[in-house]
Amino acid sequence: MRAVAVPLAALSDWFPFLVYALIAFAIPASMIVMSFVFAARARRSRARAMPFESGVSQGPPPEQRFTVSFYLTAMLFIVFDIEIVFLFPLAVVLGDVGWLAVGAFGFFIAMLVIPFVYDWKKGALEWR
Amino acid sequence: MTPALAQALVEPWWISVIKAFVIANLVLGTFAYLTVVERKLLGRMHLRYGPNRVGPFGLLQPIADLMKLLRKASFFPKGAVTMLYILAPILAAFTAISAFAVIPFGPGWEIGGYYVAGQIVDVSIALLLILALSAVGIYAFVVGGWASDSKYSLLGSMRTCAQLVSYEVSFGLAVLGVVIMAGSLRLTEIVAAQQEQIWFVVPQLVGFLCFFVAGVAETNRAPFDLPEAEQELVAGYHTEYGGIRWGMFQMSEYINMLTFSALGVTLFFGGWSGPILPAPIWFLLKLGALIFVFMWLRATLPRLRYDQLMKFGWKVLLPVATLNAIATAVLVTIF
Repeated sequence: MRAVAVPLAALSDWFPFLVYALIAFAIPASMIVMSFVFAARARRSRARAMPFESGVSQGPPPEQRFTVSFYLTAMLFIVFDIEIVFLFPLAVVLGDVGWLAVGAFGFFIAMLVIPFVYDWKKGALEWR
Repeated sequence: MTPALAQALVEPWWISVIKAFVIANLVLGTFAYLTVVERKLLGRMHLRYGPNRVGPFGLLQPIADLMKLLRKASFFPKGAVTMLYILAPILAAFTAISAFAVIPFGPGWEIGGYYVAGQIVDVSIALLLILALSAVGIYAFVVGGWASDSKYSLLGSMRTCAQLVSYEVSFGLAVLGVVIMAGSLRLTEIVAAQQEQIWFVVPQLVGFLCFFVAGVAETNRAPFDLPEAEQELVAGYHTEYGGIRWGMFQMSEYINMLTFSALGVTLFFGGWSGPILPAPIWFLLKLGALIFVFMWLRATLPRLRYDQLMKFGWKVLLPVATLNAIATAVLVTIF
């Protein structure tokens, strides 16, 4: 019985959030439903369903290509966001552990400063 | 009341349900009137009146807006992926509303022998929960822009995605200083730490500035409203949306602004704590002040260029936020 009690206690911590999240989901979902129920009847016309464009619309090209900068930004984001994920638990215990934690903190950031400087020098941070 | 004592008290489940319902509606009501307040304020700043026709002082304006948006014809653009096109605004609104769950607005009260906590849920990863929900919210913009199958929407959604992920990094690093000083991710404990020490905006001024700039960018507010830059992209990711579906994207933007301001109040301005007046009043006062700054910025600053935006995010904000985190770590250990 004891093995069951622990996860249940953890769940009861989250219970109010589950209720709130359900309400937070029900509100926009009901708004979508209402957008069908109360909406004025749309006149059928070809122009209405056309995607917006100034000039003659061909719709978007089947393969839209993007600046390579978007991909670079995505890769940089992954690197730095993982850094932050690792830093958060360290930050929580930093006050209790003391200098050892600060050392780990500094070392970890230094490991990322080196590639950051390299990226900067290589021009990966420039938007082209 | 200390956090340890507050944890020992558990509120009955039906109080949690009632409170969740009331807070969700309060958040929506606040959103509705934020739109009026913003239009009034912008009007005054432009030397005009703003909405003042519907009801006394234009106070019924949000209700009229809601009715109008609900009555708009609902249709789909020709090439749209219907399911995703519908789901995107739901996801945007859902993440925006649910992120407010962990914000503490009072110390907790005893009403009629029952304990009522000062927040909807008090979990040990509260701060991470807000970050995670705002990250999931990005999907809504990307999916919505992609599913509507239009050039402007697609470009707008790619821009939104790149901007939000860039500033999310700085945002995470900016709050790191507060986490180090409080030694907790639990927002109630961060408020308690500020009552013992000092409002964190004083030792963490740099952190607060980074937090605020990144917060403005994360919520797509001017001067970082590149995702919906009218002059270049028509309306960005919601070009093809109309009626209440468009309204839900707007709703997510305003509620995100509300949540980020509430988070700023909690992390840097002592949360609900203050003398004499009751805790929720103090919370609302501080919240209003921060939201006013958001609206003021929109009236004052012109929009950035996209390369300036990315350059600022990666080359200024990120190094400054990192240095702030390191300096905080060293100084907290010395003293």
